[in-house]
Amino acid sequence: MTLDPWVVLDNWPLFLEGAWLTVRIAAAAFVGGLILGTVIAALHSTPVALVRWLVVVYLAVMRGVPFIIILFLVHFGLPFLGLRVPALATGVIALTLFASAYYAEVIRATALALPRGQWESARAIGMSPWEAARYVIGPQILAPAIPPITNYTMTMIKESSVLSAITVGELTYQGLIVQGNTFAPFEVFFAVAGIYWIITAGFARAARLLENRQRGAVPEGITGQGIAARYLSLEAARR
Amino acid sequence: MTHDPPPALRVQGLTLRYGSVRALDELYFDVAPGEVVALVGPSGCGKTSLLRCLTWLQQPTGGLIEIAGAPLGQERLPSGAIRRQSRRHIDRLRHRIGLVFQSLNLWPHLTARENVELPQRVVLGRSRTDARVRADAILDRLRVLELAEKVPGQLSGGQKQRVAIARALAMDPALMLFDEPTSSLDAELIQEVLSVLRGLAESGTTMLVVTHEIGFARHVAHRLLFMDQGRIVADGPPAQVIDHDPHPRVREFFDTVLAFRA
Repeated sequence: MTLDPWVVLDNWPLFLEGAWLTVRIAAAAFVGGLILGTVIAALHSTPVALVRWLVVVYLAVMRGVPFIIILFLVHFGLPFLGLRVPALATGVIALTLFASAYYAEVIRATALALPRGQWESARAIGMSPWEAARYVIGPQILAPAIPPITNYTMTMIKESSVLSAITVGELTYQGLIVQGNTFAPFEVFFAVAGIYWIITAGFARAARLLENRQRGAVPEGITGQGIAARYLSLEAARR
Repeated sequence: MTHDPPPALRVQGLTLRYGSVRALDELYFDVAPGEVVALVGPSGCGKTSLLRCLTWLQQPTGGLIEIAGAPLGQERLPSGAIRRQSRRHIDRLRHRIGLVFQSLNLWPHLTARENVELPQRVVLGRSRTDARVRADAILDRLRVLELAEKVPGQLSGGQKQRVAIARALAMDPALMLFDEPTSSLDAELIQEVLSVLRGLAESGTTMLVVTHEIGFARHVAHRLLFMDQGRIVADGPPAQVIDHDPHPRVREFFDTVLAFRA
């Protein structure tokens, strides 16, 4: 068997168009997911029991159901509610919801990993919950949250291929079209795989750079010893 | 007719129950402005619960707290009914009490100066300049101004303690609370911190200090409260309570502590 590079080269505008749409969909779901995820993480510790319960149900559904089912629920469900939305929009909405659940858990877990006293000292001195989160907790969870956020974002970028099932013209969908025209599945899907890898690896690289910068921004004396040492240093006074 | 200033702290019937356990059992006491009160008692007697209730980190089951005349948490309406204040209102009163945690809880992502500046700006709405001037004045007074640019991870235990005290003092609290300020330190640093506390006491800072340092209680505090099983069982001049209070739990405690020191 030989691979024919012309299958890919002749159809490069379609691949490029698909890749570009995948990048834009992922970027929208990333930003939207982070915003929604932060809100959900915050609501998870609200004193209102009903809201907390709703958050728990939301997280259980979003993380416990296959993404394609969430996508179908949004895509075929919204019209039943009287909302006519293009496939691209429902796809982005579903992907944002999906990502937000994972981001929310990362944000919550990293915040809970901080010593309880960090929150209490901010509250005891008079900050509101929002102010404590904004000025004391938030800045401290930024660096440790980057690796798990990156991880889930790479998963989310790959899950965006499922949007092809509702005819969103992203990378996988364009691949299917070229494959249908050329009957050359190996060439097409090797190319598609390579492009996905470039997108996810590029994102991971950018995240790594940001992570290094974040750690660099932390003043000397608590760098290089890892996150644990940073908080253990607080406790060192106890000995 | 002269008006006495209200007490820095007034506690009336403060109670904290966990199920059937009474962590705090109807406490009544006042702390006068400028008074230094040592709070002593065996582990589990309710000292830390009291500090947590006074800062509303723990919501008490019942009772009233007043900071310099202003009710905190719950207030008595003219009709006599007790009303719980809004969360926002409670948040905005908390800075009137300065709590220095046992584990200090400095914010590791900020420099010493920023630790002192941040709550002034966020909670009191002070300008950057005002907060800075105030922070530097207090850090200077506690002799850690030269460390203002360092982050907590670069400071020694005693230095961190001073920064934590500065952070609370900068809010101009009516009352400072200290939770076992010397428990985490070695013998040399204990003397250093006690001298800082002595300095604050001499400058008229109102303080409630949970401590096991009998020397501090005896020589610096004006008054000693002894707690046992959620109650105040002795309240009086420190030397009097330490040497002569007849309550069996008080005697048992100080006889043991003083025997070890002898």
